[in-house]
Amino acid sequence: MIEAHLLKLRARDTVSSEEEQAIRDAIGEIREFPADHVIIRAGELLHFSTMLLDGVICRYKDLRDGGRQITELHVAGDFADLHSFTLKVLDHNIMALTRCRVALVPHENLERITESFPHLTRLYWFTTNVDAAIHREWEVSLGRRNAIARLAALFCEMHARLEVVGLTDGMSYTLPLTQADIAECTGLTPIHVNRTLRELRERGLVQFKSGRLTISDWQGLAAVGEFDPSYLYIRETDV
Amino acid sequence: MSEPKHARRRYGAMAVYHLHLSNGAGYAEDQEGQDLPDLESARAQAIDGIRSVISEEARRGMIDLTGLIEIADPDGNILLIVPFKEAISLRLDG
Repeated sequence: MIEAHLLKLRARDTVSSEEEQAIRDAIGEIREFPADHVIIRAGELLHFSTMLLDGVICRYKDLRDGGRQITELHVAGDFADLHSFTLKVLDHNIMALTRCRVALVPHENLERITESFPHLTRLYWFTTNVDAAIHREWEVSLGRRNAIARLAALFCEMHARLEVVGLTDGMSYTLPLTQADIAECTGLTPIHVNRTLRELRERGLVQFKSGRLTISDWQGLAAVGEFDPSYLYIRETDV
Repeated sequence: MSEPKHARRRYGAMAVYHLHLSNGAGYAEDQEGQDLPDLESARAQAIDGIRSVISEEARRGMIDLTGLIEIADPDGNILLIVPFKEAISLRLDG
């Protein structure tokens, strides 16, 4: 059930069998949500953090004009809000973009981990730091990159993150998002996303069809998106 | 991971509109479509999309206003054509 989560952690550091058991023991209720379901609203008091088991969920903020900015995507194995353990309320919402299954991890269980497993605690701190690094990368995209570079960077990032949890098939992966979802990630409009997808296809970089993304030219795509995976810290680290 | 989804229903009664874009760079067919309440909302989406495309062109210094967006229903019937020119007004003198 938490295999993706363990893969994600073990791509960065050793997780002992005692630590693995501590994570398993911390898991509470399992819940399923349909696509578009708002799982957590900004401002609500939380007593648990949400770990994604499968599907895609996002962190987002609403705008007054009905627009929405997605600030990060989450894939299987991610905590959507490990930061709620210390913050208690979120400054953003969390929504299922596809049908998904999550595990609730009560904050009191996380507190026990912090008391008894200092290395695992540091590893969880590390993962929230990686979330912050992802936010910085998106900030650069949204502030400075043109449409094709924004999409290229996003598609490279998703490939790298899904590969860690075994959800890629070579250069291809399932990305069950609509053009509107991608527009909300990249600060564009669905029409602009559609046109940019056509440009990516015509340049022989990416095919995106029926929720499946296939990278035809990784080097080319990474160059367009200025993608340097070092911000994802997918390497053995001794935290 | 769950199956690919199609345009989703967010706000109650909706219809699917396909917004195909055609301009100097070619034709971008909208196979997926968007769920929208009515044709007026589809037109607003078209205007917003055109402005988004033009804003990037402006940063490159070349704006192409010859394009258009066709709004079609799922059967391929064209319901409305929105020329790029309708999305902006230009002021060219003092």
